[in-house]
Amino acid sequence: MKTAPCISLVYGILLTVVLPALCGHGASAQTMASDSLHHLQEVEVVAVTPTKLLATEQRLQGKELQQLSTTSIADALKYFAGVQIKDYGGLGGLKTVNVRSLGAQHVGVYIDGIRITNAQNGTVDLGKYSLSTLETVSLYNANRLERAQSASEYASGATVYLQTRKPGTDSLSVMAGIGSFHTYRGRLNVQMSRRGWQGFIDGEYLNSRGDYPFRYKSEYEDTTGRRTNSDIEYFRIEGALFKRGFATHIYSYLSSRGCPGGIVRRLSDKYTNVGREWDRDIFVQASWQQAFGTRHFVRLNAKYAYEYLRYNTDYPENQNTARVDNRYRQNDAYASASYCLSPLRWLYLNLGYDARMSWLRSDVRNFSSVRRLDQKAVADLHLEWRGLRAEGSLLFQHYKDHTRVQAGAANPISRFTPSISIGWFWGGLTVRGWYKKIFRVPTLNDLYYTQAGNRNLKPEYTRQWNVGVEYAAAFGALRLSAQADAYINHIDNRIVCLPLRGTYTWSMMNYGKTLCRGLNLNASGRWAAGEWSVSLLGSLTLQRDVNRTNSEDEDTYNLPIRYSPKVSFGLTGMVGWRWLSLTVSEVHVGRRIWSYADPRDILAPYNNVDLRLAGQWRWLLASLEVNDLLDVQYEHVPRYPMPGRSFRLTLTYTLGNTNIKP
Amino acid sequence: MKKAFLLSIALLPALTLPAKEKIILVNEGMWQTDNGQLTYFEDGEVVSNQWFRDVNGRKLGDTPNDIILVNDGIIAIAANWSNIIQFITPDGKAVGETEDVPNNRKLASDGRYVYVTSYAHEVGIDGDFRQFEKGYVAKIDATTFKTVDAVEVGYEPEGIALYGGHLFVANSGGYSFQEGHDYEHSVSVIDPATMKVVRTVDVEQINLYSKVSLSGQYLCINSPGDYYETPAATVILDCRAVLDGKPDAECFVLLPVASTSNTADTDGNFLTVGSSYSYLTGEYEFHYCTINPEEVCLSRGEAGVYIGLPGSVEEGIAGMAMPYSIFVNPYSGYIYATDAGEYTGAGAMYQWDPEGNFLGKHKTYINPGHFLALPPEKPQNGVTAPATDLPEMEGAIYNMQGIRVKNPISGNIYIKNGKKIIF
Repeated sequence: MKTAPCISLVYGILLTVVLPALCGHGASAQTMASDSLHHLQEVEVVAVTPTKLLATEQRLQGKELQQLSTTSIADALKYFAGVQIKDYGGLGGLKTVNVRSLGAQHVGVYIDGIRITNAQNGTVDLGKYSLSTLETVSLYNANRLERAQSASEYASGATVYLQTRKPGTDSLSVMAGIGSFHTYRGRLNVQMSRRGWQGFIDGEYLNSRGDYPFRYKSEYEDTTGRRTNSDIEYFRIEGALFKRGFATHIYSYLSSRGCPGGIVRRLSDKYTNVGREWDRDIFVQASWQQAFGTRHFVRLNAKYAYEYLRYNTDYPENQNTARVDNRYRQNDAYASASYCLSPLRWLYLNLGYDARMSWLRSDVRNFSSVRRLDQKAVADLHLEWRGLRAEGSLLFQHYKDHTRVQAGAANPISRFTPSISIGWFWGGLTVRGWYKKIFRVPTLNDLYYTQAGNRNLKPEYTRQWNVGVEYAAAFGALRLSAQADAYINHIDNRIVCLPLRGTYTWSMMNYGKTLCRGLNLNASGRWAAGEWSVSLLGSLTLQRDVNRTNSEDEDTYNLPIRYSPKVSFGLTGMVGWRWLSLTVSEVHVGRRIWSYADPRDILAPYNNVDLRLAGQWRWLLASLEVNDLLDVQYEHVPRYPMPGRSFRLTLTYTLGNTNIKP
Repeated sequence: MKKAFLLSIALLPALTLPAKEKIILVNEGMWQTDNGQLTYFEDGEVVSNQWFRDVNGRKLGDTPNDIILVNDGIIAIAANWSNIIQFITPDGKAVGETEDVPNNRKLASDGRYVYVTSYAHEVGIDGDFRQFEKGYVAKIDATTFKTVDAVEVGYEPEGIALYGGHLFVANSGGYSFQEGHDYEHSVSVIDPATMKVVRTVDVEQINLYSKVSLSGQYLCINSPGDYYETPAATVILDCRAVLDGKPDAECFVLLPVASTSNTADTDGNFLTVGSSYSYLTGEYEFHYCTINPEEVCLSRGEAGVYIGLPGSVEEGIAGMAMPYSIFVNPYSGYIYATDAGEYTGAGAMYQWDPEGNFLGKHKTYINPGHFLALPPEKPQNGVTAPATDLPEMEGAIYNMQGIRVKNPISGNIYIKNGKKIIF
């Protein structure tokens, strides 16, 4: 067991070298006859999944995922209940996801079961990952609860799982797209499946000026303009290879983008607060899972990731901030081993151990490299008796940093956190309840960043309670499902950046408590007959999220958390007929406050209607997407306008099958 | 007695009396949110927390950093992130603006021109752009609202004051931890007529950051240190000694207290509130001081620093969530301080009488940071103001910053009995 992660890592690296050769073979493979759009390959799920889920899950997969008018994962997640996307606008802007108001850093994002991490700032920019190679996007509140999960899969408040698609046939596909605001996109996908091996290579290039128009009209202003410094150019290439319980994935993302600022009063366009960012991300990961008899199941994971970030503000148009040109480099090595023992039919036990080493280097003044060792161990017991299932886990986490920064390293953190779930299954009905306590550790930026870091920070804790009910039924060609979950979340010791008392200097601090009570509802209906297929999906979030920081401050205490809407919902309708498909979706986000100072400091509610029409003719697939059909002007962050109506036309030519996203 | 006077004012119908206490308070708002606001406060009441919007029907801009009375008819406001110097009348009406001075910081004025410090490297003069390696001070004509000249000083110049016909500019070098250069430790002295630096005084303390206060010939300058090894300090600069050509070391005294926010009172003292912070220890030390600069300079720092603030002022500030600014109205001696609270909600303004008796707390907008007192109105409508016990105020002389001056310098412009005079 001890040496297994190392072997797996070496194996992964070997495969990385071998992979291009194998995929080259795929590209030259004979092409097959074209399939219809509606005959997608069934996906083989390797994980040993219990028949019914104990966890609270929302999922978009296969055809439905591909028919949504989306390119980025953030766009897909906005259809889930309890999800709040924070988006600074445009294609180049940072996109993060917040689940049930826990905060972006409590949401773990996993590709094929291995977490995407960023030791520097703890958040995952979802804009960097493409939907086009995915089979499933699912959101689990608390734990997913599968057999032989790694310890780090237990270590976040909510989890987003991205499941890569395993190709079923050989194909070659070329895509070209054009969109509003000077957006051009091209993509090449090669995939193959033979002798039990499945693999793909997927490369994409995008260039967008992102110069969309915006307008602010209120009692005190009528501002119109075009977004500047919102351009992006990226090149993404990734490949994956699968054979039975073995999976490996290599991914690389190179980008250059502008970092647009807030729209504030200016007398002219002469000065823009220009900043530019360059990213180079690479990761290689491999996993292997195997059952031994009926009682033993083992899973090994390994990953290496490198992230380079350059941030530059040294431009003549920028007169407003310091002129910096900084580089940050992160290396991250990860290995995990987990084992599931099922000695009896009604009992199984998961044991897992993870180790991750992260290195952060930067040329920021007074910053020295930081190394973090993060170890996790978990024990998770599942019991099943007739329709009753119960689960309890205990997670141990240990973090230790080494650094030569002046202030010294933070004290190591060792903590145990529990979670417990119980469920009852009867026919199509599930009733469930769970509790989870988990924390996020301060990131390396929080602790060590020059002139802001605070090495005395404590972990930020979340406690979640949830009760839910789920029902699924089929009536001939009609399939219906619905689920409702009520929840209460507490967050303590929030890690925030605040100015220091009595100075004009900012620092990271533990400050703030919040209480969130909410209800998530999902309902779906699917009907298919003859040449027709119809789907209707809906989600609704009702939430009361309040500030419980300072009971003496009547201006903030028990008032809603900033940016948190009381009501939000999404509705999606999909209709397919022969070679045509139409998707219409609507997202509503309610009123949000952004300051406690003035009742007029609010972000207005908005409705966003997206539309996608696709048609297939032989090897050619054409799709037209219209986002924000009604050209609603809205914001996620005050003074960061989102693009209004935009169009996107995409043509895809495929030789072989059509099991890829148009 | 003064308290009794204010109470009597509160009991009388406000309309029949000329306003005595007129304060404009600049709320910075939140960065990049375009919500800088003016609070207008008159005789114990907040008239509006969005005064600029009320009067002009539009927004002031992002992160206003300073406000100054230029002359009877003009007030200047530096809106930092909007790159705008906004000119208004004492009624709040916008009359002009310029973006010649991006990244503007603090203001000084001689009644005709406004002098503004800037962290930027570019200034617009008559449609042309002049470049500087370091920061600069620009001279703006308050009749045309155009920049007429500028001079390079140190990196990231911050506080600015006019004394003895010269501008004293505290250089911070505050971008030091991001850019390649070091912190500054000097005060630049500028002849405003020629806009030339005539002297640079090394004050042996780095990072001269935040607003400066002038009392007589003395300037109070805060330094937060470097937040690591160099602790915070206060520089008391003797501007007279600087102009008299005394050696650098004889022109200033360093005091081992922080004065993040400072103001001059009507007795010639500085009231200071500050905190000293170190990222190494993560600890703060708070300082509330009354500094007699004359005593400090005569004793070379051995005397003249009194711990504490008048009456209940210290207690009030110590109880704030986030003390942000302290101010004394030079016309009345009333003391004000602001609390920024949690930075995302409304701030608060506290008011005390000159003895430090608490008068009230008023809700403001976000991050209330910068004060301007307007001269009290003269009696009108035949109504006589009640007799007050402020006889010493009659005939008192103020400089153009509204600060009471004990030893006016001949040839400079001052305010006496609400009128401008050349002494």
